[in-house]
Amino acid sequence: MKTAFTILLALALTPLAQAQQNKQQQSQKPLAGTDRIRFEPTYTLIDSGKWSGKRLPDGQPDVEGHWSNTVGNHNNWTDPQGGIPGDPAPPRKPLGPRAERAPSRVTDPASGEVPFQPWAKAAQEDFLKNFHNPTQPQYIEPLARCAPAGVPKSFIWHGYEIRQYPGYVVFLFNSGTRIIHLDGKPHLPSSIKLWNADSRGHWEGNTLVVDVTNNNSKALFGRTGEFASENVHITERYIFSADGQRYNYVATFDDPSVYTRPWTATIPAKRRTEKDAVDGWHYEVALNQAGKQSVIERDERICTENNIGFGHVAVTPAPR
Amino acid sequence: MIRSLTLIALLASLAGQVFAADKIPRLANGKPDFSGIWQTTSAAEFDLEPHAARIDAPPGAGIVVGNVIPYLPAALEQKKKNFAQRNTADPRLKGWTLGVPRGIYYPEPFQIFQRQRDLTLVHQFGHSVRTIHTNGTDHPGGDRNQFWLGDSRGKWEGDTLVVDVNGFNDETWLDRAGNYHSESFHVVERWKYLDANTIEYSARLEDPEVFARPWDLSVILHRHREKNFQLIEDYRFTLDYEQHYPPKPPATATAQPSGKP
Repeated sequence: MKTAFTILLALALTPLAQAQQNKQQQSQKPLAGTDRIRFEPTYTLIDSGKWSGKRLPDGQPDVEGHWSNTVGNHNNWTDPQGGIPGDPAPPRKPLGPRAERAPSRVTDPASGEVPFQPWAKAAQEDFLKNFHNPTQPQYIEPLARCAPAGVPKSFIWHGYEIRQYPGYVVFLFNSGTRIIHLDGKPHLPSSIKLWNADSRGHWEGNTLVVDVTNNNSKALFGRTGEFASENVHITERYIFSADGQRYNYVATFDDPSVYTRPWTATIPAKRRTEKDAVDGWHYEVALNQAGKQSVIERDERICTENNIGFGHVAVTPAPR
Repeated sequence: MIRSLTLIALLASLAGQVFAADKIPRLANGKPDFSGIWQTTSAAEFDLEPHAARIDAPPGAGIVVGNVIPYLPAALEQKKKNFAQRNTADPRLKGWTLGVPRGIYYPEPFQIFQRQRDLTLVHQFGHSVRTIHTNGTDHPGGDRNQFWLGDSRGKWEGDTLVVDVNGFNDETWLDRAGNYHSESFHVVERWKYLDANTIEYSARLEDPEVFARPWDLSVILHRHREKNFQLIEDYRFTLDYEQHYPPKPPATATAQPSGKP
């Protein structure tokens, strides 16, 4: 069992294997009693407005639980289901027309492209050109070195958990942790730059609005190399649906040192529950028992110490 | 007469509440609420056992009950080896997860977030997150993996949180002096408020491969009360390569920021 589990995780560790795994998921019949999680080709519109769902005792909308994005991982920022351009091991089935895949995460401007300044566009293209055969350190995807996925990449990596407390919303990602302060304290001094940035939030009806500064921007956005600088100011709006089953992450990126204008990204997410198959990706949880009741838990995710990539839990080393 | 006695009793209890400056925070279910940012002022991290000042450690009376960790003979040799190599072999030097209980008495802040069902501990040093389950679940056992932070299951004994921790790997040390444990490590922690801003943390450490018998340590944790105090993430293991990201504009591309050499 442990061996099989380890192999499954090892498969999940490379883009190629990820593609194969996706293919397997598409070709297999759904597991009995569960729904295998697949990426969706469209976004679900959620309007900002009043919150009519469950609330926590401190008055916050109750959005605790396990979530993951619905359109694709960080392979490709603007064509989420398009794979990594130039991949020497492309999916066996050729990609269909662009219109059949999920739209760009860039929802403003309408072109779906990040409005890079010319030097930044050239830098992004240079990263992508060298991604598959990196000959310089700057071409190695930081997440592949166990760096935190940061903002916004954490939302298009593995599934994650939201825990809420009076004064805080805490995101426990596969690769990194974000503590959103709701108590109105000022941001850290601007000289401090962090992988997971510094976050101040408040609720407006069904929307968690978060002001994000102090981002070191080293995590990049995805394998296609889109990026911001450490000057970036991100305004995030997490817009939750009334039934508590979905939310859209709508974030505006303002960085005059990299872009020609502010632009907006949208990342749709869906709640994952015990009805979903535990797949080590979207729904990366562990199951325990309390009496006869099944309890969903989250194992520690520690990447660099384990030296096996991508935030796996510790593995018993082979006998020496 | 009975009515006036009742009144006096009522007044006395009200006064008791008013003057109980050290009334501890509690959750809605009445259990102590350890939410907050905590840190030790002890020198335990430098050496759990009593020690005079040395070049890499301030003096300290130690936090081991009985002063001496009861090592098995072979394990004591390993500990001495660790001590000799402490300036290169300590996992802390890589910025790695400190483990349990070291993360608790490491002299940097950690934050507790608490719900009825669990406590979440975010350590500033070591970038890792520990969950202590207080929902009646037991260790899952079976083929779940080993953990850097172990698997933590808590229960309440009055106002004391008693946490059973097992499922460890053998990669973490207990301090900078090379005290260590094996995969058979088992910790029972006791968390108890002394007053609203002070926790008495004690732990019984057991490891039949390393220690001749279980032993205890105890340390005091203080609440951070500085205005606007917060944790600041620490991913120092990225210092070897972080200078390569993100791309820089051409004007500054030649001026490489200095990372760790």
